[in-house]
Amino acid sequence: MSAFTAESGSRSAERGRLFAQPVAVLLIVAAVLVWAFTTDLDTVEQESINASSILTYTWQHLVLSVVITILVLVIALPLGVMLTRRWAKPAAPVFLAIANIGQAAPAVGVLVLFFLWTGLEGVAAAAPPIAFYALLPVLRNTIVGIQQVDPALVDAGRGIGMSSGAVLRRIELPLAIPLILAGLRTSLVLAVGTATLAQFVNGGGLGEMIDTGYKLDRVSVLTVGAVLAVALALLVDWLGAVAERYFGPKGIG
Amino acid sequence: MNLFEYVADRWGSLSLQGLLHASAVVQCTIIAAVIGVLVGIAVYRSPLGSALATALASAILTVPSFALIGLLIPILGLGVEPSVTALVLYGLLPIVRNTIVGLGGVDPSITDAAKGIGMSRLGVLSRVELRLAWPAILAGMRVATQLMMGILAIAAYAKGPGLGSEIFSGLVRAGSANSLNQALAGTLGVVILALLLDGIYALIGRYTTSRGIRG
Repeated sequence: MSAFTAESGSRSAERGRLFAQPVAVLLIVAAVLVWAFTTDLDTVEQESINASSILTYTWQHLVLSVVITILVLVIALPLGVMLTRRWAKPAAPVFLAIANIGQAAPAVGVLVLFFLWTGLEGVAAAAPPIAFYALLPVLRNTIVGIQQVDPALVDAGRGIGMSSGAVLRRIELPLAIPLILAGLRTSLVLAVGTATLAQFVNGGGLGEMIDTGYKLDRVSVLTVGAVLAVALALLVDWLGAVAERYFGPKGIG
Repeated sequence: MNLFEYVADRWGSLSLQGLLHASAVVQCTIIAAVIGVLVGIAVYRSPLGSALATALASAILTVPSFALIGLLIPILGLGVEPSVTALVLYGLLPIVRNTIVGLGGVDPSITDAAKGIGMSRLGVLSRVELRLAWPAILAGMRVATQLMMGILAIAAYAKGPGLGSEIFSGLVRAGSANSLNQALAGTLGVVILALLLDGIYALIGRYTTSRGIRG
């Protein structure tokens, strides 16, 4: 299921986004911030729309996204590698099926359930379920990326006396990196986007501005929070695209 | 009360919410399919147009759904309008992308042959190209449906229809007797509906694919 990829599937489209996206993001953010700081704000709006709260919310959002990304990498990469080892191969479809069903679950539902079950709050309550939700693209692409390595190359590596660990490190993983990076980009976009829901479990972040604006009926607060969240997601997507382009191995692609 | 007792007790309202959820997603998929296929037809012959359409649609998919729904509230108010708008926007990318790929993948010699026997441009499109691209378009709709299932749950924040309201009221009533059951029923309900619709897509694919290209 390639459900959650933001990949447009076209090379020229990707190239266009590489240039247009950061420019568009900067323009939108600048426009909204100028608008928010030049209009007359009432005291309620001033509570949320000031440099220090905006920075705090953005910082919380970034920290949460980083924690989620670390969790995704620490879980999905080793799991993906393990599931391509010969002794664990039969388990791969099982794990992928579980992960697929997990992703069919609504993110907000997983988040709320984890919160109700554990009673945790804040980042501890938000990061694990969002990481679980955002993990599938990296897991799937790691498995597929290693599986599609030409078996002749693996054989050749073994033939010149490499251990299976060395084959993994020096042949299989480098060749799988483009796909793993693509999966990571999708996961990152999912993580930053889903992090807007963290405020439901007191996890802070830009979602809190959206919620505050909605509950207190202040469109300006809602708009600033939402636009910053959108900009952050587009920026992370762009960084992912840049990483895919420049950190992929040079020998292939 | 355990989950089963809870579901049995609230079956009336849960099944109604589930029905609303599925029906909203299916209707939005159809709207997104109509728009997406029209956009795909309009741009698939021009590389620049295709690139622009897919880039724009994939940028939309990057937008966090909670942020988009939040932004739609001041414009469209609460309830059905923001929910439907958000779902259709998110459903566009997979359908537009697959329409372009599907139509672009039709063998030119086939369309040439169709033109050669005197078919009009519209005839070629509707009787040859679209039928050959249909499996790809349907696959795009399937992905769109799966995406919408989860996003509609978030749209309950803007008073959208469906099972998301169960999840949110479970959250609001955290600590009270049935809050966990309520959130669990809402979440599992969405999973079950998603798997059910996915199965239906497999069936539709089987019976609507042109006989010549059926595997």
